[in-house]
Amino acid sequence: MKDRTGTADKSRIDGASQRNRVKALLLVMPGVLWLIAFAVVPIVFLGIMSLWTSTIFGLSKTLTLDNYRSVASAPAYLLVLWHTLLIAAATTLLALIISYPMAYFLSVLKGRRKTVAVVLLFMPFWTSYLVRTFLWLPMLGRNGLINQALMRLGIVSAPIDWLLYNEGAVLLGLVYVYTLYMTLPIYLSLDRLDPKLLEAAADLGAGPFRALWRVMVPLSLPGILSGCIMVFLLACGAYVTPQLLGGTRGVMFGSIIAAQYMQTNNWALGAALSVILVAVVFLCVFTIGRRVRLNEVFLGVRN
Amino acid sequence: MASSLSETRIGHDAGAHPARPIRWGNCLLSGYAMLVYLFLYGPVGLLVLLSVNNSEVIGLPFRGFSWRWYETVANTPELVHAIVNSFAVGAASALAATVIALLMAMGFRSDLPLRNVIVKMLLLPILIPGIVGGAVFLVFFGVVGVPLGLWTTVIVTHITWVLPFAFLTLFPRLHNFDRSLEEAAMDLGARPIIVFQRILLPLIWPGIVSTLLFSFTLSFDEFVRTLFVIGDERTIPVHLWVLITNQMAPFLPAVGVIIMGTSIAISLIGFAVSARSSHSGTEQ
Repeated sequence: MKDRTGTADKSRIDGASQRNRVKALLLVMPGVLWLIAFAVVPIVFLGIMSLWTSTIFGLSKTLTLDNYRSVASAPAYLLVLWHTLLIAAATTLLALIISYPMAYFLSVLKGRRKTVAVVLLFMPFWTSYLVRTFLWLPMLGRNGLINQALMRLGIVSAPIDWLLYNEGAVLLGLVYVYTLYMTLPIYLSLDRLDPKLLEAAADLGAGPFRALWRVMVPLSLPGILSGCIMVFLLACGAYVTPQLLGGTRGVMFGSIIAAQYMQTNNWALGAALSVILVAVVFLCVFTIGRRVRLNEVFLGVRN
Repeated sequence: MASSLSETRIGHDAGAHPARPIRWGNCLLSGYAMLVYLFLYGPVGLLVLLSVNNSEVIGLPFRGFSWRWYETVANTPELVHAIVNSFAVGAASALAATVIALLMAMGFRSDLPLRNVIVKMLLLPILIPGIVGGAVFLVFFGVVGVPLGLWTTVIVTHITWVLPFAFLTLFPRLHNFDRSLEEAAMDLGARPIIVFQRILLPLIWPGIVSTLLFSFTLSFDEFVRTLFVIGDERTIPVHLWVLITNQMAPFLPAVGVIIMGTSIAISLIGFAVSARSSHSGTEQ
């Protein structure tokens, strides 16, 4: 008797949850269809096109690894790829060094001052990265702020040319444009941290640096890792920054990919180069950050 | 991004923070923060200064204040047209992405099959580097045979780009939403559509408005993907790019300030709306 009412209830609940799941599926359907049509399918297309070849008569649709072979046998491509990974790694490291104290600074502020400080930090990053890259031209150029200041101070007599159009300028531009993607996740993880833990460490006799290194850094590790992943990903795919600030010495992989579509019109090779970039970047990210779950990084929930 | 910001606790109890290092450590930290802000805002300040510099070359010295470059922008039809295009595409893609994202976020509250697969698909547009994203869209539209243009390829590209961010801003708001209110209304016999209209929508409305605004700025500022698929038309970032790479016109800083000013103004409104809503959220 008791048992039967139990199963009846259970089946009613099952029916309700079944209906809920159908409703949920219907709600997510437009988004899912959109993503399949305009995110998944186009990426598959690109993968297939990387196996075609571009000829003067158009695309040859025979599947072949020719594009990959020509990339593998051209040291110039591999050199630029290596160069790109190095610049991206340097950008990530610099962003981390700049961000950690800044994130700590924000996390210990209180009240209105905290709100203002956080919004002030975010504001520039909510604007066009094209403009934020462009503004380094008048900063570093011959008539730029740095040169004018140096000349005014009598440190140099003529404007210096090497401020722009090299790897250093690219690195500066990338750090300027992408640091927030490091500061934000570290700040969020430090802000969640229970201040009592640091007190406890101090009570137990840990000096400030020991408390920092043994308590705070490990607990903010998820923030650090997700920041590193975001900045590294973004820097690897940079195109605007090397194009505007890099000149011929600061070429990055993104410029090579763009050239296949905008200059030489070799779409198939461009597709192969894109696949290589994505594969290499993701390989780096997954070997470094295997411990981070993407869902946790982006949604902030364990699921 | 915005939502996580508003979620962070703003008012700590006074003195809750540990007896930290030493006093000079704090001074050092504040001084360092000032340097970071200087690094962030110094170049922006220079751009604003150059936009009102009465000089034919982009650069110093400052030769006096003048609105002439803004007047040049206002009197150049291509520039005005590009700005109008950016506003139109931004508004349309923000609206479309927010509606799709809202439906998805509502679906995500139930126990959804293939949840993890859907999240991974959502993250694709963010995780694929911009330059590859541009190539992906160009190849796709090329193979399918869609003519390049503002209302064909650019709008689709922008909605796809903005959608994950719109979802990530809306999801936490719906996730933290107290479902018992809805359940109570349902138990009292309200139909789902009424529950949505009368209960859910009014409570998450500020979240929707801030999502719309943030989505708009994302679309307004988008450049790389747009460059690939825009064909002969122009949004304002693409037009700025063409001008920078062709010849350095003296009115470029003014264009830059207009782009920056627009996104800053709109995201500030977004911050204000979202801060106010999270404040009223704590009162409930």
